[in-house]
Amino acid sequence: MKLTRRIFAALVATAMGAVAPALAQSDEPIKLGAFVPVTGAGALGEASLVAVELAVKQINEAGGIAGRQVQMTVADYQTDPTIGVGEANRLVHQVGIDMAVGPTYSQVTLAVLPLLSAAQIPSINVSGSSTITPAAGPYSFSMLPNAETQARAMVDNAASQFGAKKVAIFSDNGAQAKTAVAEIQKVLEEKGIELTGIQEYNYNSKDLTPQLLALRSGEPDAILLFTSTGDDTANVLLSRAQLNWDVNISGSYGVSLATQALAAGGPELFKNVIALNYAGFTYCKADGKPQKAIDLVEAVRAYKPGSADRYPMNFLALFYDSVFILKAAVEGNGGDTSGPAVAKWIVENISSFDGVNKGLAASAESHFLVGPEALSVVKPDTIDEYGIQERAGC
Amino acid sequence: MSIDELALILVRGLGQGAIYALIGMSFNIVVNSSGILNFANGALLVLAGVLAYFILPATPDWTIWILAAVGIAACLFVFVSLQGVLTLFPLKSSVEQHSWLITTMAISVILSAGIHLYGGSLAFRVPSILPPVSVFGLSTPSAYFLLMALAVFWFVVIRWFHQKTFTGLAMSAIAQDLDAAKVAGISVKRIQLVAFGISGLVLATTGFVGAPVINISADTGIGYLLSGFTALVIGGLGSNLGAMVGGALVGVISMFAAYRFGGIYQDTVTMGLLIAVLMLRPEGIFGLAAARKV
Repeated sequence: MKLTRRIFAALVATAMGAVAPALAQSDEPIKLGAFVPVTGAGALGEASLVAVELAVKQINEAGGIAGRQVQMTVADYQTDPTIGVGEANRLVHQVGIDMAVGPTYSQVTLAVLPLLSAAQIPSINVSGSSTITPAAGPYSFSMLPNAETQARAMVDNAASQFGAKKVAIFSDNGAQAKTAVAEIQKVLEEKGIELTGIQEYNYNSKDLTPQLLALRSGEPDAILLFTSTGDDTANVLLSRAQLNWDVNISGSYGVSLATQALAAGGPELFKNVIALNYAGFTYCKADGKPQKAIDLVEAVRAYKPGSADRYPMNFLALFYDSVFILKAAVEGNGGDTSGPAVAKWIVENISSFDGVNKGLAASAESHFLVGPEALSVVKPDTIDEYGIQERAGC
Repeated sequence: MSIDELALILVRGLGQGAIYALIGMSFNIVVNSSGILNFANGALLVLAGVLAYFILPATPDWTIWILAAVGIAACLFVFVSLQGVLTLFPLKSSVEQHSWLITTMAISVILSAGIHLYGGSLAFRVPSILPPVSVFGLSTPSAYFLLMALAVFWFVVIRWFHQKTFTGLAMSAIAQDLDAAKVAGISVKRIQLVAFGISGLVLATTGFVGAPVINISADTGIGYLLSGFTALVIGGLGSNLGAMVGGALVGVISMFAAYRFGGIYQDTVTMGLLIAVLMLRPEGIFGLAAARKV
């Protein structure tokens, strides 16, 4: 009898032991690290932070991720890779994050990925350098179209929309832009399009007329413009207007960030300008406007009524969707937050993700979720009060 | 290079150079009276632009523009004078300590953070009071011409102030020999605070007038500070004529470098110019070689 009781007690203890971690785990919040440049150079940190805060708030109000609340910790990397690594160390080793979103700047993402990968933390960044491969970050995905995708689309658009035979390249000096410029040169060679000049500018340079003047001397049919922020887009277009030069521009996603340029110089700045934008923020009049994008914008306005109008909503949606993709992946795995499980789910199931952005895809070779299908060519000045733009081919 | 291209580079280079020259002169006013380099000058310039953004209406109105200019100048006069109190207080009257390095940089960091927290990280765009001017058929922001005029205005006013007013003469006396000035009964601390205030006036008017062509955001002050300081070192620390010439050189060469070699080489070429000048003339073009104390 004593022996039976002992065996029973041992079985109960074993069972409790097995169940206890699971119980403990279900009570603990999921810790989400948000790599956003709240301070420092760059203009997109605030919008990124609001996006993640809003997504976490909505998820927690709806019951959390797999029944667990989400606890967000901000890593302000100030657009500096060194600070980014310090912040990543803090999040991984002190805070003990389960997953992460961000960073945006490729050079920072490349710096923090080894730390996240070693700790098997799944993450979704918003960086576009082609050097961010699955080998560099096996559990990391990107919501930014990679530089190659954009480069190819920009050249195609210049040829198809403007019939360009000679083009010049103008870009900022970020890591993503450098990759894109190299890729553009390859594509131009493939397609037999003449390159008449290349110019770069530092972020936040206001007067870009000298560079445009140099490009003008090559008499290109179009400029392939790769910008990363709406402020820089405005500076380029204002400088072009000051030269009275209405050269065609086939722009990257950054050129679709039209709010600042419209405020600075009105829609005439966008004469002969087309750009890439996320399909989720585009429409043709015949189809109607995308409701998910409208819902997000209204939610942001309700959450931050004083500052919502300043945010580029298509960019904000990238961070917002990132949190929901991680939620879908964790729930799809029965609550498992480990990097390998989340990454496997995303590769196999991301095409079914129904967020603001649709048409996402991933494979073992590429973790850039936004491919050509998720991008559209837009007329940037058609941006409406929700940040939605009309497609150029309607 | 065609004539219109040359004109564009010269006009815009001189316009940008005027900003650097004015920053250089605001450095000089303080450094000549106290030996302090105010590293908050870039942030103060941006602060004036931010204030212009919040005050000026979208459509030009001369009355509001003039009132705003006076108001912002008065605000920065008071603010920079208070900064002077904070900077000078730990020093007593000696400038051999270097706490001013930290206090001026601290003010710069605090101002940038404040602009960021209050206004966000996007650039502030300020409308111009005058329409663009056509130069060889190319549209040129009128702010560049206003900045050039402002640089000449402050150069003349400061020269007159140093030569014709008691306070200005006292500043010159302090610049020549601090101890002798004290013995002569000059209220050194008061004169130094006035110098801080005047440098605030120069920066306020520069940030306000130049706001349409200055990149006004929380993190751009440091760039203007460095360019202004570079111009000053090239021209000669302490010399306003040096600041004017150094500013023009840096502005035009920086524009030419962007045109000829690409925007990415702007800073490299400017720094190359700085090194070349320092190699040939360490005290700067118009600087005075100081006797070494033994």
